[in-house]
Amino acid sequence: MVRLVSGDRVFRVISYGAAALIMLIAVIFIIALVVPALPAITRFGLGFFTSRTWDPVRNQFGALTPIYGTLVTSSIALLMAFPIGLGAALFLAEDARLSLLRGPLSFLIELLAGIPSVVIGLWAFFILTPLMRDKVDPFLQHTLGFLPLFRGTPSGYGFLTAGLVLAIMVLPIMIALSRDVIRAVPRELREASLALGATSAETIWSVILPYARVGITGAVLLSLGRALGETIAVTMVIGNTMQISASLFASGYTLPSVIANEFTEATGNVYLGSLFYLGVVLVLITIVVNVLARLLIWRFSSSGRAAA
Amino acid sequence: MKSVFVAAFVGAAMLLAACGGNSTANNPTTGGSGPPTPPGASLTGAGATFPAPFYDAARFAYNKLFSQVTVNYVAVGSGAGITQLTKKLVDFGASDVPMNASELTSAGGSDKVVQIASTLGTESLAYNLSGVSNGQLKLTPKTIAGIFLGTIKNWNDPALAADNSGVTLPNQAISVVHRSDGSGTTYIFTDYLSTVSADWKSKVGKGKSVSWPVGQGAKGNEAVATTIKQTPGAIGYVELAYVIQTNMTQASLQNHDGNFVLPSPDGATAAAGQFLAVTPTQFSIVDAPGKTSAPISGFSWLILYKDQGDKTKGTALVDFLDWLLTDGQQYAVNVHYSKLPANIVRDDIISLKTVISGGSTLLNVPAPS
Repeated sequence: MVRLVSGDRVFRVISYGAAALIMLIAVIFIIALVVPALPAITRFGLGFFTSRTWDPVRNQFGALTPIYGTLVTSSIALLMAFPIGLGAALFLAEDARLSLLRGPLSFLIELLAGIPSVVIGLWAFFILTPLMRDKVDPFLQHTLGFLPLFRGTPSGYGFLTAGLVLAIMVLPIMIALSRDVIRAVPRELREASLALGATSAETIWSVILPYARVGITGAVLLSLGRALGETIAVTMVIGNTMQISASLFASGYTLPSVIANEFTEATGNVYLGSLFYLGVVLVLITIVVNVLARLLIWRFSSSGRAAA
Repeated sequence: MKSVFVAAFVGAAMLLAACGGNSTANNPTTGGSGPPTPPGASLTGAGATFPAPFYDAARFAYNKLFSQVTVNYVAVGSGAGITQLTKKLVDFGASDVPMNASELTSAGGSDKVVQIASTLGTESLAYNLSGVSNGQLKLTPKTIAGIFLGTIKNWNDPALAADNSGVTLPNQAISVVHRSDGSGTTYIFTDYLSTVSADWKSKVGKGKSVSWPVGQGAKGNEAVATTIKQTPGAIGYVELAYVIQTNMTQASLQNHDGNFVLPSPDGATAAAGQFLAVTPTQFSIVDAPGKTSAPISGFSWLILYKDQGDKTKGTALVDFLDWLLTDGQQYAVNVHYSKLPANIVRDDIISLKTVISGGSTLLNVPAPS
C-alpha cells in the first residue's frame, strides 16, 4: 500500500513536470519570437498590419501584402481540398463494394502525406508551372475570363499555382482525418437509417455527415494550419512578388516565404525585427484559426448532441 | 531558431575539424619561396554563398598542401557570417558587402577588424528569347534600367530595337526575374542600376533586398536561372558562373566606354584594375571605365579580427589567407570567378600584415612592393 502511494506520487510529479515543461516551452517560444520583433513593433505598431510597403532599402515595412497572399493561397487550397478530400474519405469509409481498393488507396494517401514538401516544390517548379502557364491558365482565362480572378498574363507562377500545390499537400490530412471520423460514426445509426428506408446517399447526407461534422471541421482546420505555415514549396511557385492583385495568375508573397527568403541577409534591427514581426503575425493567425475551431466545435457538438 | 541551427552546424564543423587536425601537427618545413608553412590548426569560417564554390575548392587544395591545417567553411549567408564572426563563433567571416557602420560598432569598431577583398565576380543578364542567340541581344545602361523599372515592357520596344539593328526582337512581354532572397548578387546589380540611372537611385536604391518595381522573385542563382530558362520572354541577372555552367544565353552589355562586351572573368579583372585602391568603404567597381571592363562586377570579402587571441590559430589563418590571395587565386578561375588584380592583392597582404597576436605580427612574408 505504501509503495503504491509513493508510486502514485512519482507518477504525479512526472506528469506535472511534463505539463509544466510544455507551458514553459510555449512561453519561451513566444518570448523568443516577440523580443527580437520589438524594434519593429515599437516602430510600426499596428500600422504594420495595414501597410503595403516592404522596402528594405528605406527600412519601411508592412505585412498586408504577405498576409493577403497567405490567406488567398490557403483559401484556394481549402476550396479545392475540401470537396475532393471529403469525397475520397466517404468512398474509403463507406463504400464496401470496392474494399479491395481500400488498402492500396489508403497506402497511397499516406505516401502522399509522407513526401517532403521540398520534393513537392521541385515537382511543382519544374512540371506544374509550365503546365499551368501553357494549358490550365489559358483554359481558365478562355472560359472564366470575365471574372477579374482570371485576368492578366499567366506566367505559371502565382496565387493559383501555389494554392494548387497547397491543396495537394493538405489533401492527405483532409482525407485521413475525415475518413477516421466517418468510420467512427456508430454502426447502429447507419443501420437505423437504412432500416427506416433511407438510401445510402440519404444516410450519408442526413445521418453520417451531421454526426461527423465536428471531426470534419477539425480536419479542415488542421489542413488550414498546414497550408498557412507551408514555406518551401510555396516559395518555389508563388513568384515572390510584393503585390496585391485580384488576379489569381499574378505573382504574390506569403508570410513564411518572406521570412525564408530574406532572413539570411537581413541586417539591422528594424529589418530583422520586421521579419520576426511577420512570424508573430503568422502565429496570431494560427491562434485565431485555432480559437475559431474550438468555438465551432463547441457550438456544433452542443447542437449536434441535442439533435442526436 | 535559425541562429541555433547555424551555431550547431558551426559547432559540429569545429568538432569534426578538431578530430581531424591534431594527428598531423608535426609539419615538415618547406624551403624556398613557396607559401609560408602554417602551424597545425583547424579554422572555421562562415558567410556568403556566392564565393562558396571558390572557398571550397581552395580550402581542399590547401589541406592537400598542408595537411596540418583544416579549413571549414559554412555558407550561411553574409549577414549570418558577420554575426557569427562578431560573436567569435568562427575564425573568419565572409560577406559580399563589407561590414556597415552598425555592424562595425557591434564588432568593437572599424579598427578591430581587417576586411580583405578575396575574389571577384561578374554578373550577366541572361534571357530566354527564341531566335536570339548568345550575345546577340545588346543592352545599354538605359535599356537595362528601363526593363527593371518597368518602363520597357515589351521586347519590340523602340528603345531596344534602336540598339539591336539586324536582330528581330519578338512582340512578347518582358518577364523580369530577380532574386527573392537577400544576396550580394542583388546588391551588386542594384548598385549598378543606381550608378547608371538616377530614376532607379531615387525610386528603388541599392541593397541586398530591394522593393522591386516589376518582375517575380526566385530563391538563389539556380532558381533564377531555371525560371528564366522555363519562361519565354524572361530576363534576369545571374552570376556569370551559373550562366556558363548551365549554357544560358546572355546579353552583350554596353560598358562605361561605350563598348558592348560579353561578361567574362577577364572583363571583371579588367574592371577592378581600373581602380587604384579598393577599401571597405570605397568598394564599388560597377560601370567601370576601360575598353573591356565588364560593367556589373564586384568583390567578395573576408573579415577577421585584427587581434587574434590564439597565436597558433591566428598564424595559420593569415598564412592560409596569404596563400588564398596568391597561389589560391587559380581555384577562383576554375569555378569561373576572376583573379584579383595585382594592386588589390598587394593592398590585401598589407592589411593582413596588420593582424597581430600578443603584440607581434603574424604574417611573415616580405612586404609587397
